[in-house]
Amino acid sequence: MARVTLRSLTKRYPGGVTAVDALDLEIADGEFFALLGPSGCGKTTLLRTIAGLEAATTGQVIIDDVDVTRLPPGDRDIGMVFQDYALYPHMTVQDNIAYPLKVRKVNKDERRGMAADAAGNLQLGELLERRPGQLSGGQQQRVAVARAIAYQPRLFLFDEPLSNLDAQLRVEARTFLKRLQAEIGVTTVYVTHDQSEALALADRMAVMQRGRVRQLATPEEVYRRPNSLFVASFIGSMPMNLLDAEVVDGALDIAGSRLSLPPDSAEHVTSGDRVVFGSRPEFATLHDEPVDNALEGQVAVAELLGNSYLLTVEGSGLQMRAVAAEAAPNGTRVWVTFDEANCLLYRRDDGGLVGSPRVEGDEAVDADAPRVAAARQ
Amino acid sequence: MTAAGAAVAPGNSRRVVKSVLTRIGFYVMVLLLGVFFALPMLWLLAAPFDRTPTLAAGVPDFTFDNFVRVFENPFVLPSLRNSLILALATMVLVVTAAALCAYALSRVHLPGRDILLYVLLLFSAVVSGTAAMVPLFLLIFEIGLINTHTGVVLVLAGGLMPAGIFILKDFMDSTPASYEESARVAGASALQTLRDIVVPVVRPGLAVIAVWTVVQVWGDFLIPFILLRDPELAPAAVVMFNFYTEGGQANLPLISAYSFLYSVPVVVMYLFVNRRYGFRFYGGIKR
Ligand SMILES: Nc1ncnc2c1ncn2[C@@H]1O[C@H](COP(=O)(O)OP(=O)(O)OP(=O)(O)O)[C@@H](O)[C@H]1O
Ligand SMILES: [Mg+2]
Repeated sequence: MARVTLRSLTKRYPGGVTAVDALDLEIADGEFFALLGPSGCGKTTLLRTIAGLEAATTGQVIIDDVDVTRLPPGDRDIGMVFQDYALYPHMTVQDNIAYPLKVRKVNKDERRGMAADAAGNLQLGELLERRPGQLSGGQQQRVAVARAIAYQPRLFLFDEPLSNLDAQLRVEARTFLKRLQAEIGVTTVYVTHDQSEALALADRMAVMQRGRVRQLATPEEVYRRPNSLFVASFIGSMPMNLLDAEVVDGALDIAGSRLSLPPDSAEHVTSGDRVVFGSRPEFATLHDEPVDNALEGQVAVAELLGNSYLLTVEGSGLQMRAVAAEAAPNGTRVWVTFDEANCLLYRRDDGGLVGSPRVEGDEAVDADAPRVAAARQ
Repeated sequence: MTAAGAAVAPGNSRRVVKSVLTRIGFYVMVLLLGVFFALPMLWLLAAPFDRTPTLAAGVPDFTFDNFVRVFENPFVLPSLRNSLILALATMVLVVTAAALCAYALSRVHLPGRDILLYVLLLFSAVVSGTAAMVPLFLLIFEIGLINTHTGVVLVLAGGLMPAGIFILKDFMDSTPASYEESARVAGASALQTLRDIVVPVVRPGLAVIAVWTVVQVWGDFLIPFILLRDPELAPAAVVMFNFYTEGGQANLPLISAYSFLYSVPVVVMYLFVNRRYGFRFYGGIKR
């Protein structure tokens, strides 16, 4: 079991790319911690730096109060599952699982026992004599996990272990991983760019952008109160509604319509502030006649989600999404209201949540970029 | 309608005749080429068992006498043994050194690495070629390795290494670095990783290089001919040359039987390696 502390960790590649930028992070003992972020934000680099496969440029990696920054990977007592699983193609499943034990000079009988235990844990008992090439993707993934748990390391590192699986298997494997981690209670750092995976698995998660942590919180918090436009547009399987607004006389002006200020935010804004109004489609309600505090529009697209529909509503230059129990024919005039308790306001200039400290530096400049992308989806 | 059909038909038949003729010409040529290349093989299979071998290939007047006479020659067995020693020693040297070099070159990013490889490859043709014979002779003479197997092995290995490195580096490049990384995370040292992971994974590549080296050395005439004085040390290729000149005329019974013996090990080795290791890759994981 282990606590991981990162102190202003920086990794700059020889080409000049700063993949991890002065990162501070504390991961508690036994925690399932997810690193989430768009492609190229430095998740893999961070994980590999913790493992010791990349040397930190500056800063420290501390595991259980011991500075391991300069230790080789093998001395850090870490189990790692790679994105391509990295199973040795010339060894049987049994030998694959036992190889780290062999390196650690566990004697042969004990080794076989421990490998069989780990394999049994993951329902691989029947497959011990097979080669990796003779296994399905899901089985390979389980062998990779078995190899990492068999030698009982104090820390697990996973780099997108489910990304090679098809959608259905991925959900199964996800549940399985979460249960396994809860049972053995080993601290786990899990990298993914799939936000639903992070939300489903993590006790706590960090959303990264350009080598920095943009939000560090529980999945619930990240989902309900994204602290910046970047996180807001990144999290959620249905993109959040993000609408440009202006504060006018204690209310919001959105393309000429009036909406009351969300109660949490009211005290942080003054008349004339330019803000972005955010609310998830789940918290939007459609009305078929004019009501107060609503934005008017016409249904443009209706998508079936399962037991409900995702409706896209367009009007006065705005685009909104709402989840509704019933589909409505295209062109229907509707009035959209938003549940006040679940509405957020962001500053338009730096993208931060109103009332939160301002974001300085270059991130503020591109806080707009992801929102534009989200609007186009 | 009919007029148009009649107008088209002669053109069509001309085209058919033309394509048939082309095809016949093609097969005749393939046949001639095939026979041309097959004849020496047939001769090699037939002549050794012929009571009176000539330069023509034909059904032999069956006998084992030629082989009996070959084995009576005092140089035959030692020469085959010499060939074996040279081939195996060079093979071990080339495979080991080329594997280590290729691994390092594949995993460490040196500036100018590819240029270095191409230049080496280019010069390797010179090293074991005719052009460098005099300097090579002098070099080996100066360091006191003239008339030793060691000298021959070093020169041959030097000539074969660059191509070996080149081919093996390709094999190494195509094995994912994550195999080694996962071994490193598990605590394996660099040599353990090389021995347990890298070598087994690139084994088909090593087998290719090993067989190729043996065949090259086995068939090489010039270098042992120049660097070895003592007939006792000469490999098969050089000894065969002496059969040819002995009486001022080719000793066909001896040469044919000897050639047969000379080619058997190479064929056997190829079959063995192909069966044992297979010139193929292991079915891998999604790359
Ligand atoms: N070996 C390397 N040399 C130079 N730059 C690199 C190297 N590896 C990664 N980078 C750069 O560092 C940045 C972070 O890369 P990283 O692989 O950590 O991203 P990631 O968050 O894991 O992305 P993905 O979700 O696509 O896997 C990228 O801009 C990438 O181009
Ligand atoms: Mg990655």
